[in-house]
Amino acid sequence: MLGPLETTIKAIRPGHKARLNLHVSDVSNLDEKSRVLEASDRRRMNGLGNRLWHTDSSFKKTPAKYSLLSARVIPPEGGETEFADLRAAYDALPDKMKARLEGLVAIHCILHSRATIGFTDYSPEERERLQPVPQLIVRTHPGSGRKTLYLASHAGEIQGMPTPEARMLLHDLMEHATQRPFVYTHRWRVGDIVMWDDRCTMHRAREYDMRHPRDMHRTTVSDVAPSVEQAQVA
Amino acid sequence: MIQVKQLHPLFVGEVSGVDLRNPVDPETLGEIVKAWDQYGVLVLRDQFIDDAQQMDFSEKLGALAQTSLTLRKDYKPRLDPRITDISNLNQDNEVVGATDRRRLYALANRFWHTDNAFRRIPAKYSLLSARAIPSEGGETEFADMRAAYDALPEKTKTWLEGKIAMHSIVYSREIIGFTDYSKEERDGLPSVPHVMVRTHPGSGRKSIYLASYAHEILGMPTPEARMMIHDLMEHATQRQFVYAHKWRVGDLVMWDNRCMMHRARDYDMTQKRDLHRTTVKDDAPTVPEAMVA
Repeated sequence: MLGPLETTIKAIRPGHKARLNLHVSDVSNLDEKSRVLEASDRRRMNGLGNRLWHTDSSFKKTPAKYSLLSARVIPPEGGETEFADLRAAYDALPDKMKARLEGLVAIHCILHSRATIGFTDYSPEERERLQPVPQLIVRTHPGSGRKTLYLASHAGEIQGMPTPEARMLLHDLMEHATQRPFVYTHRWRVGDIVMWDDRCTMHRAREYDMRHPRDMHRTTVSDVAPSVEQAQVA
Repeated sequence: MIQVKQLHPLFVGEVSGVDLRNPVDPETLGEIVKAWDQYGVLVLRDQFIDDAQQMDFSEKLGALAQTSLTLRKDYKPRLDPRITDISNLNQDNEVVGATDRRRLYALANRFWHTDNAFRRIPAKYSLLSARAIPSEGGETEFADMRAAYDALPEKTKTWLEGKIAMHSIVYSREIIGFTDYSKEERDGLPSVPHVMVRTHPGSGRKSIYLASYAHEILGMPTPEARMMIHDLMEHATQRQFVYAHKWRVGDLVMWDNRCMMHRARDYDMTQKRDLHRTTVKDDAPTVPEAMVA
């Protein structure tokens, strides 16, 4: 009812054994038979990247609009999800920085965010399908009319800027945007559904003892168009 | 007698009653070291010293480290090799261009670090003297790793005990996409091990020993180690542990690298910023030779 559902990118990998419907992102530490993953399992290492701040599917040309996360099993402690309000973060930027960011385009790629934690185990199919995409750094939310930062750990370049300068700017923006006053920490209870607007928030998972099962199911609603095209229309 | 005024609820002392243009007597030096053990960072205002005076005073504290910039064959020094050039200037004292290698290299100083943690024997003390500063920005921030350690959950303290992290300056530059290193530099700057928790000999306090150079924890898969380092870094640099120093020309800020991290902040790089650093070596590697072999 909210829009078209995304298909999980895990399905791109040959030999992927799905535990869930392809329209449900498997946010768990379980294998296809619902057993807790081994400590060195590739899926577990890949999942660690969710502990970096991000907004869902910003590495896709048309990113996510909404994410809906349902808690089925939770660990006894830890494993919270934190959210950062990127509208408030934008409002709090100095005017000079707002002016500097207007119209800037960042390049997002999930291989980049995973490479920062030393995870590079991607198949040729995945590398082919997960190419870098452009996203505006400042967006305007059509529902609220508010301006917002649009950031994720997937962003590794800014068009027209030397890489080191772009990375430092993205790093400083990320730090600014995730200051504690902009952050809400959600402590899960089984049966919670938490739904967020990916266009104007970031989120991340927090650490937990991965010997305990944590099973969350996410549906993801696609945005209407790439952020860069939305700006050209507006 | 020196006087010390605390500048932050947890650390940082502003020292008065010293003029470093004149030789410092052993008694005063002892008072300075005692205050340093307690405050971690010392700020001395209006010290209009030259490089020779800065080196003279620094050498009283221990052997000086040479700048790693000399590893590069095409390096044209602006300053004595015992002075690390923290500036945006070339050897003719002109501001370097927007795409200059030195400028892009220095951007990584905006990541939290502790000096020379990419060497087997890291830095004990750093002394940074402000000769020219931009009209705004360019602050140096310090984080108190003793307070950060104290605030860790008991579980994490136990986990960290005895853990060894690998540090590499080449890695910290790669994070920002800077890879313009010569073979001599890569060979001269290998990854080195350091303990993650240190005990300060002067204060007896434990502290987290961390820097953006850290890229592995021995015995741990890389992604897990990186997330651990990332979370520790975030914990250790929470605002309540951080002091931001706004520079005035003539400031000499001195910090203890064994229990402090620091970083530079952004500024308009078309303006001159010229700071001179002397670096006093620590006494020994944090991980003994015998344990590495």
